Amino acid sequence: MAYLSQYQYYENGGAAPTDANWGSYQYVSLEDVVNNFQLMYTGNHSLVNNEERYKILFHAKRAIQELNYDAFKEIKALELTVYDNLTFVLPSDYVNWVRLSLYKDGWLRPLNENIQVNSAVSYLQSNTGTLSFNGDGTVVTDASTLDTERKSGQQNSIYLNQNNAQDDASENSEANWYSDYSIGARYGLNTETANANPTYRIDKKAGVINFDSTMLNENCVLEYISDGMEGGNDSLVTVNKLFEEYIYAAIKYEILNSKFNVQEYVVNRARKDKSSLLRNAKIRLSNIHPGRLLMNLRGQNKWIK
Amino acid sequence: MASFFLLIFVKKKPMINSVRNTVLAILNKNNYGYISPSDFNLFAKQAQLDIFDEYFLGYNSQINKENSRVSGTGYADITKGYEEVIDTFSVTSSLSKLYDNTYSVPTSATTGHEYYLLNKILIYSNVTSSGVTTGINGGNFLVDSTATFQTDGVSVGDVVSVVISNSVVTNFKVVAVTSQTSLQVNIASLTSFGLSYSVYKPSNLKNEAEFVHNNKITMLNKSMLTAPTTTYPAYNQEGLSLTLHPSTITDVGRVVSQYIRYPKDPKWTYISLTGGEPIFDQSQSDYQDFELPIDDGNNLVARILQYTGVSIREGDVYKFGATLEQQETQEQ
Repeated sequence: MAYLSQYQYYENGGAAPTDANWGSYQYVSLEDVVNNFQLMYTGNHSLVNNEERYKILFHAKRAIQELNYDAFKEIKALELTVYDNLTFVLPSDYVNWVRLSLYKDGWLRPLNENIQVNSAVSYLQSNTGTLSFNGDGTVVTDASTLDTERKSGQQNSIYLNQNNAQDDASENSEANWYSDYSIGARYGLNTETANANPTYRIDKKAGVINFDSTMLNENCVLEYISDGMEGGNDSLVTVNKLFEEYIYAAIKYEILNSKFNVQEYVVNRARKDKSSLLRNAKIRLSNIHPGRLLMNLRGQNKWIK
Repeated sequence: MASFFLLIFVKKKPMINSVRNTVLAILNKNNYGYISPSDFNLFAKQAQLDIFDEYFLGYNSQINKENSRVSGTGYADITKGYEEVIDTFSVTSSLSKLYDNTYSVPTSATTGHEYYLLNKILIYSNVTSSGVTTGINGGNFLVDSTATFQTDGVSVGDVVSVVISNSVVTNFKVVAVTSQTSLQVNIASLTSFGLSYSVYKPSNLKNEAEFVHNNKITMLNKSMLTAPTTTYPAYNQEGLSLTLHPSTITDVGRVVSQYIRYPKDPKWTYISLTGGEPIFDQSQSDYQDFELPIDDGNNLVARILQYTGVSIREGDVYKFGATLEQQETQEQ
């Protein structure tokens, strides 16, 4: 890809959206990666030759996916409001989650994952416990009591956020809380479960995050990682320039490693090349700035009372 | 600059006549016999094809020599010589669309040449505008009353691909965008309407389609990571047709091929003289010289002699040709 003029960079050449090229210089496109690899690392006089382009493309994309999982630290965020079904559908490019927060009253409150199951599948049963089946032999399912009660707020929680008079000022004011809860029972908090915020549990297979009923109509912010494939649009797939050399090394290694009759020392050289370049790129991307370090060191002298 | 014009206007001395004279001289030396012009033309065609074919094998062998570090650079760069000769047969043409996303391979009927090797298949990444012409205006205007050329961003210098007849794609250049529905083009050939056309930006001819064997194309299309896209298109071949992937590649002139064509059939043409020798006449309309470089002259003589030796049943002629060819090969 050609270099952009400053007008193209700042104003996108006058076309909408004008911010399309902001920050683009940090990245190299997948198209460039594949093109450069074919131009520079394949051919009659190269270690890699007679290799289909789709294999190069495959290994390039796989390397980019792997980098997106941890090395890039490029975390996406999505805010949605949780409605009556108390679920948050995972984003279409979701691979794994980083943090889930409740945004309320101007504060971003990190939420705790509920260690207890909060959603289940239920089979329709008769009074005697026999199951019913559909015509195609599959069992007839039904809404589980667990789900129904969680959504209606009837499910008790080991966390301090539900059905707990101590957390409810109005109940305290009526002075009847002591008759129901905690008298003679609570000698100390279980800090693992002590949290007043709503809790959640991710159902990966169902593709949803299930919340308890206190999350109703609240704003939820999901921070997550993707695989960088941009919904299959190859023209949008990019990789940070700090990892460019690593991508070439990774493609070369994967091809040589799976190719017949390549000497072991050649494969090993490619492997070491790949590993050291990944290490270098990670160190570069970690951005250990003296200014940030200084800020951390200043915190050492703070007195904790 | 002067030498540049000299190169253009100096007519190449016909090689075919000197080759024929040499062949006849060798044959006549021992009264082996005579070959007619038509026989000579047949043997010449065969000899040229043999040598043409060997260029590719020689090129490959030269690459292997380079990889084993027994080949030099500069004047010792034999590979470059091979590439230069092969590239004289290189042609770039738009392929004719057969139906949907299927296009014809280059043929003499569609692109003017039969192909020897499809070196590269390119597709335009975007179609700027397309439609069917609805009128005529002097032959050098493309008129489509339903088009929106200005809105689509058509500009001067864009390529207009039109099928005028028999699926053959003719490419024009936009000279002026006269209105939303009319384009002025550089050649006055649009003398009928109802013609399919597409407009492309020359800079968008950048995506190369990869040849994928029939036993892989189904899996490739199913692959999530590597399924063909317009950025990374692919094609497979069946018979004389190429199927482009993804299947959205269906536009007229969108697929362009760079291929190596076969050399044209050599033809030694003459004036018939009553009771005398045929006299060479290169002004005949069907005259065609050899297309191989001059230094292949000896090789052509050797090959033609071998065919002639078999034809006139003279083993010595065949042996002489074979020895000559062997010497040529060893020198390489």
